[in-house]
Amino acid sequence: MKPQPPAWADRLLESFCAPHLLEEVQGDLHERFERDLSLLGSGQANRRYWFNVLGFLRPFALKRKSTDYPTPFLISPIMLRNYLKTSLRNLVKHKASTLINLFGLTLGVTACLVIYLITYYELSYDTFHPDAQQIYRLVGQSQYDKKSELHPVGFIPHAVPAALQKEVPGIGTVAAFHNIESQVLIPNGTEKPIKFEGRRHGVENAEIVVTDPTYFDIFSYKWLAGNPKTALNEPFQLVLSERKAHKYFGDVPLDQILGKEVIYMDSVHVHVTGIVKDWALPSDFTFTDFISSATIQASQLKKEIHLDQWDDIWSASQAFVKLPKGATTTQFTTQFLRFSKVHYPKEFKFTPDLQPLSDLHFNPDYQDNYSRKAHLPTLYGLMGVAGFILLIAAINFINLSTAQSSQRAKETGIRKVMGSSRASLIVQFLGETAFLTLIAVLVSLLLVNPILSAFQSITPKGLTFNVFSAQTGLFLLAIILATSLLAGLYPSFILSSYVPALTLKGQTGMVAGRKATLRKTLIIFQFTISLIFIIGTLIVERQLRFMRTKELGFRSDAIVSIRPPSAEKGKVLAQKIRQLSGVERVAIEWFPPMGEAYMVTKLKYEGKKQPIEMDVSAKIGDENFIPLYQLRLVAGRNYIKSDSLKEIVINASYAKALGFKRYDDALNQFIDFQGKKYPIVGVVADFHEQSFHEKIGPVFLGYMPHARNLSVKLSTKGKAMSELKATLASIEQDWKAVFPDNRFEYTFLDDSIARLYEKEQKTSQLVNTATGIAILISCMGLFGLAMFTAEQRTKEIGVRKVLGASVASIVTLLSKDFLKLVVIALIIASPIAWWVMTQWLKDFAYKVEIEWWVFALAGILAVGIALFTISFQSIKAALVNPVKSLRSE
Amino acid sequence: MKRTYLGEFEEVVLLTVAVLHESAYGVAITDELDRQTGRSVSISAVHAALHRLEEKGMLTSHMGDSTAERGGRRKRLFTVTALGSRTLHDIRAIRDQLWNAISPNALPAISI
Repeated sequence: MKPQPPAWADRLLESFCAPHLLEEVQGDLHERFERDLSLLGSGQANRRYWFNVLGFLRPFALKRKSTDYPTPFLISPIMLRNYLKTSLRNLVKHKASTLINLFGLTLGVTACLVIYLITYYELSYDTFHPDAQQIYRLVGQSQYDKKSELHPVGFIPHAVPAALQKEVPGIGTVAAFHNIESQVLIPNGTEKPIKFEGRRHGVENAEIVVTDPTYFDIFSYKWLAGNPKTALNEPFQLVLSERKAHKYFGDVPLDQILGKEVIYMDSVHVHVTGIVKDWALPSDFTFTDFISSATIQASQLKKEIHLDQWDDIWSASQAFVKLPKGATTTQFTTQFLRFSKVHYPKEFKFTPDLQPLSDLHFNPDYQDNYSRKAHLPTLYGLMGVAGFILLIAAINFINLSTAQSSQRAKETGIRKVMGSSRASLIVQFLGETAFLTLIAVLVSLLLVNPILSAFQSITPKGLTFNVFSAQTGLFLLAIILATSLLAGLYPSFILSSYVPALTLKGQTGMVAGRKATLRKTLIIFQFTISLIFIIGTLIVERQLRFMRTKELGFRSDAIVSIRPPSAEKGKVLAQKIRQLSGVERVAIEWFPPMGEAYMVTKLKYEGKKQPIEMDVSAKIGDENFIPLYQLRLVAGRNYIKSDSLKEIVINASYAKALGFKRYDDALNQFIDFQGKKYPIVGVVADFHEQSFHEKIGPVFLGYMPHARNLSVKLSTKGKAMSELKATLASIEQDWKAVFPDNRFEYTFLDDSIARLYEKEQKTSQLVNTATGIAILISCMGLFGLAMFTAEQRTKEIGVRKVLGASVASIVTLLSKDFLKLVVIALIIASPIAWWVMTQWLKDFAYKVEIEWWVFALAGILAVGIALFTISFQSIKAALVNPVKSLRSE
Repeated sequence: MKRTYLGEFEEVVLLTVAVLHESAYGVAITDELDRQTGRSVSISAVHAALHRLEEKGMLTSHMGDSTAERGGRRKRLFTVTALGSRTLHDIRAIRDQLWNAISPNALPAISI
């Protein structure tokens, strides 16, 4: 090939030379290059070419030709008015698609906004503390003996914090605190003290703590009254939060509250020495009553909190550490290990560890009894759902506006002829999208509050919505921008690309095939997402149903749990309740067979070959326990009434674990418990004692004297709800007679079992809502497209009818294409949904199988919904009299 | 008499366009200038001059044929307008008039 002029020089020339001069200039340069090439050779010619090109860097060549018809500045008021007018006219003209788009976008934006509020709220927990990065919770790994596993625990033995502060140099500030549960008494002169009930566990926040004064060095509070330096140094001192102070003492000035007396645990008299402001931002530290830790040794509290206890851990005992600036957790690892070696030479081991403050709200491994854990995967799932819903809405917009673009092609043509540039057309269409999005955002702002209150059960407590906060404003702005670009960019490129000469002649000037492919792909995408949601809903629903209906191994209906405050009087109450007519049976127990609370202990069996020792769950109750819950005895008998543990009953799993081939073999064998031997007198069939996430393990049942909770089986045979209520009322009367000072509370066992699946219930609600929204938006898009296609093919349908096509064949014709897409979506969605749901089900020890018919059902549902949506339009189109559609041109 | 000012280079270019008659375009003019006057000028300088002359109305142009050596690009062919012709004539007349006014011995003799 002949040598060509240097390409880079050519490119440079093309980039700077005015377009109207380029041809001649480049031509001349090329001609000169030819001559130079033949006279001087390629090297010299190339150099000269470069030189010549650079020579054209002069004003005349750079200056662009001005046109006689200058484009007005894009956002001149006149053009803006024009854009607004055409936009409004277009929106009004295509009412259906405008409404579909608006509705879809509103739903999408609302979903995004609500989910943003929830996730932002959860993620902002305890992020407001100054030096939050330096604050850690003292946690640990505990091990009961050499063979057992390491358990992460969020709490620590009472003696550890003080020892750590002394023995680990450079650890900074350590503050230990202990949650206590107590009612509060405020002395009221000579009259009876004012009483505030203790919190209801799991419902209300933990508020009372006994704490080291260093707590206020780690967490910064604003002091409203009292001296922060001395407020908690002495015994019997108390710091209250402002809200709590007013609750206890009414609306008096804070200074007057200082020095007043408050009584905890009926006997611990403390005096208010300080008042701090409550935190306004989300926090897990919900404490409002801070009792000085010096009080422990000086009062009744020492019976409950043993400060020198090393080898037992209670969830009420907590400690926080504020490391010095620049210190890292890793530098303490070896010191912690040494600490553990020194203090735990025996079986029980405890190794301290540090948990970052930011981890507190999310890590379920470290339990405590005040923080509320947020499930991080659920939050991420939520964000994904929000994104997908917005995406589906944007896809609707893209589909409908590209489908209708041919109708706006004339406008584009005219605008171009009148001198509009492509850039300004793109901006115009994007602006239109932004306008629509803005309306959607405004509508969703109105919707957010009602939605938040409607979904209170799945939103975190304390979540409020403030339109005028900076973050919300920023988020809304981001959403408007993102949605406008997502939904509007592609259509605006398509619309602005039309060639005016073609569009004005009545052709669309577009390759029809490409457009339709994109639209089809997007519909497939939409339906894939919808189908994944549908399949998810079906499987979650099936699993929940399975958990509700599966035989638990015991009866849980019409059983009421009551927790008397003392064991002795509890027996009196039990006796009273037994005499009521509506009560079938009353059992005294530790806990019901199934629930959040359970206890595991170590049992030993001297087997034939070697002793078998293992952790066994204890179900403690009197002789009424097994008959009340109707646990099925597969061998032997129930244990008989006694004052202490004499005989035990085990479950089938334990019998199997001990190596008995037949259940009868287990009878009259002896089990070693705390050094004493007890005979097995019966074997019960396995029953669930924890949620379905856990496998059924070995269990033993027996009676121990310190059981004090009551389980009451109400007789329901032939009784109406009102009679049950009457029975409950008479139980309450008995309670009042026995415990006049305590509030009567009861729970139905069914409810507390259902509470085990709270998270799953929330997931289910969430998936249901997401499915509903996704399907709704997708179908509206489909509806819009079907309407459009039917409209476009009016003539074709008319001709077909004239030539003898039946209504059915035309409906088939119009529906076929869409249904094909739904089927493809099903094929794509099935494996994805299968994988996702398998992951979800992995958490359950007892679960449903994912069966093929679930996918088939989802497919049928989707096809049905799609068909239903399309049929509106296709039947309407097929029924039109061809005379009408063919008459007008 | 008020006339459009024409620089010396412009005048030479304008004359060269007239010399080349119907086939005056960038490269040809550059070459012709080189041949006739021995002045080696860059193409860009010639283009700039042509552009200016066109703006002044002394030249008019149209796009000509494309040739292979230009990679299929067309040439812009220039022709002198009436105004250009008039200006050239004016300049020449003034020169002649001045030459005629010089007395025979006023200029020092130069030997060739």
